[in-house]
Amino acid sequence: MLVAKTIWKKLTWTWKPESEFEAGDSIVRNLLLHWFPSKITFDSMSFRYSLWLGTASAVLFVILTLTGVVLMFLYVPSVERAYASVKDIEYVVAFGWFMRGLHRIGAHLMVLIVFVHMIRVFLTGGYKNGVAAGQNRPLNWIIGVLLLLSTLLLSFTGYLLPWDQLAFWAITVGTNIALAAPLVGEQIRFLLLGGNEIAQSALIRFYVLHCFVLPTAVLLLFAWHMWRIRKDGGLACVDQAALSQKKEKTEPVKSKTYSLLGIAGTRTVHVETTLVDEDRYATNSSPYLTRRLLVAILATTLIAALMAIGIEAPLEEPANPAVTSNPAKAPWYFLWLQELVADTTMRIGDITINGALVGGIIIPGLLSGLLLLWPYLDRSPVSATGVWFGPERLRQNIVFLFIVLLIVILTIVGTYMRGPYWVLYWPWEAWELLPRHF
Amino acid sequence: MKTTNPPDPAGPPHGSQAKGQSRRKFLDRLGLGALLAAVGGQATMMLRALVPNILYEPPRRFKIGMPEQFPEGVTFLEGQRLFIFRDQQVFHAISAVCTHLGCTVNMIQMNPPQQIEIRGEIVEQEQEFHCPCHGSKYYGEGTPYEGPAPVPLAWYHLELAPDDGQIVVNLTEPVNQDFRLTV
Repeated sequence: MLVAKTIWKKLTWTWKPESEFEAGDSIVRNLLLHWFPSKITFDSMSFRYSLWLGTASAVLFVILTLTGVVLMFLYVPSVERAYASVKDIEYVVAFGWFMRGLHRIGAHLMVLIVFVHMIRVFLTGGYKNGVAAGQNRPLNWIIGVLLLLSTLLLSFTGYLLPWDQLAFWAITVGTNIALAAPLVGEQIRFLLLGGNEIAQSALIRFYVLHCFVLPTAVLLLFAWHMWRIRKDGGLACVDQAALSQKKEKTEPVKSKTYSLLGIAGTRTVHVETTLVDEDRYATNSSPYLTRRLLVAILATTLIAALMAIGIEAPLEEPANPAVTSNPAKAPWYFLWLQELVADTTMRIGDITINGALVGGIIIPGLLSGLLLLWPYLDRSPVSATGVWFGPERLRQNIVFLFIVLLIVILTIVGTYMRGPYWVLYWPWEAWELLPRHF
Repeated sequence: MKTTNPPDPAGPPHGSQAKGQSRRKFLDRLGLGALLAAVGGQATMMLRALVPNILYEPPRRFKIGMPEQFPEGVTFLEGQRLFIFRDQQVFHAISAVCTHLGCTVNMIQMNPPQQIEIRGEIVEQEQEFHCPCHGSKYYGEGTPYEGPAPVPLAWYHLELAPDDGQIVVNLTEPVNQDFRLTV
């Protein structure tokens, strides 16, 4: 009884602290809250700076893990039974349709929100080091890019599992892009599929990658991502606040020692300090941050659940290697790539370069490489850290938004304007009717 | 018994001390090396285990039936993703796998047959192949003329089985577009 009470006390905290001590103590003492700072600036908590996108993606990851575990109990990763078990989940299992719908919509939302999160960090110069010691935000940006790529791989591997026509042909196209990679392409595809064809060994490999390897990678990267935020002294807008306070020319004061809880210990107490911890700029994380976090969790869960109820998860005919569905489309977030591979085959004299190599490997490879390296190429001054559309970063923001816009346009064209045989149609135009089998 | 000496900051080690130092260094490296070799070796084994030694896949060389079973014109073999062309006693086989990203192409019957020019020659073709994935289009003999497909559809070697006279397709042996099997 006493033990239970102790454990309960260790896991809970007061929502109404009566003193600064009690507020800070819940952060230090509590397992669930230990990764928060004891004080947080109003900017860091505001919706208008961060849009709370990172939190939303983390919440979606939790939703996906929970629904995914339920689905794992019901799904059979074998070519003979995969399709039937998904069909059972959809039509027979109690609330199976909801689990599957939530898992599917959660995955779509996660891809979307992680992508928008990256856009937010770029436009605010959030990957830039500010004024505090021991910062390494570029590293955290790299971790973030790896998280984005892992998210895409997770959704890609999950796409095969229903073993329907949609799954089979999306994976055919995807793995054949790997085939186009020079020198190692064939071996990579062979290893990924466990053979030359998309069959049982491919299904079980994608299943294990989807259910264990990639989620573990995301979990580890996520923990590192959060730890780095703390090591970097919080969001970049804190540095922006510290910079603008320096302009106020306040008298040097001693740092408040309580603010050092968990903050990098490299700074000495006397030298210089910012006033970001002052009540004008910051407040106690408990309960103000925890309360907003709860709102963010509720909002994300609610939106995902409502969408899962409203949007039916499709299940096409069972996979048939002989007949390609027409049109055969990748999931929407890969349709810009599908547009690229369809449009970038080049003929220079007698030499033909496959669009799969140009649009499927070279262009996305260059984009990923550029993303990873960008913090080291960005030479803008420290004043552009942690502020939306910093004027010093105007040009790179425009170029970045231009690339984002191209990706969005290609995605829209691929989603709404491609009909049978990948012919361009206007969204309101009717597709030419074709026999399903020839 | 004293087997190791503490490092001496006052001067360079000498005598048995230096010997002890280098022995310790050697043992350190030996231990670390053994650990790395063990970890590396087992990691290699784990990765190697994921490279299949045997594939349970359909054979790449198989019988498709007696020549007289095939009607005039084109027959699509669904399971093998293969078009078998028959013109009287003459056969050839074209793959239905798009050379862009591996989707199955659809055959489009040309009605009436079209006159087209391929490499300076006028030929009459009764069918074309269109890929549903990215809109590649091929002439009846497999040459791409539109869309992203980089090379023609593969042609495969045909032969007659010596035992029962069935047509045998060999997917491991691509052939030129002038290949024909006459029975």
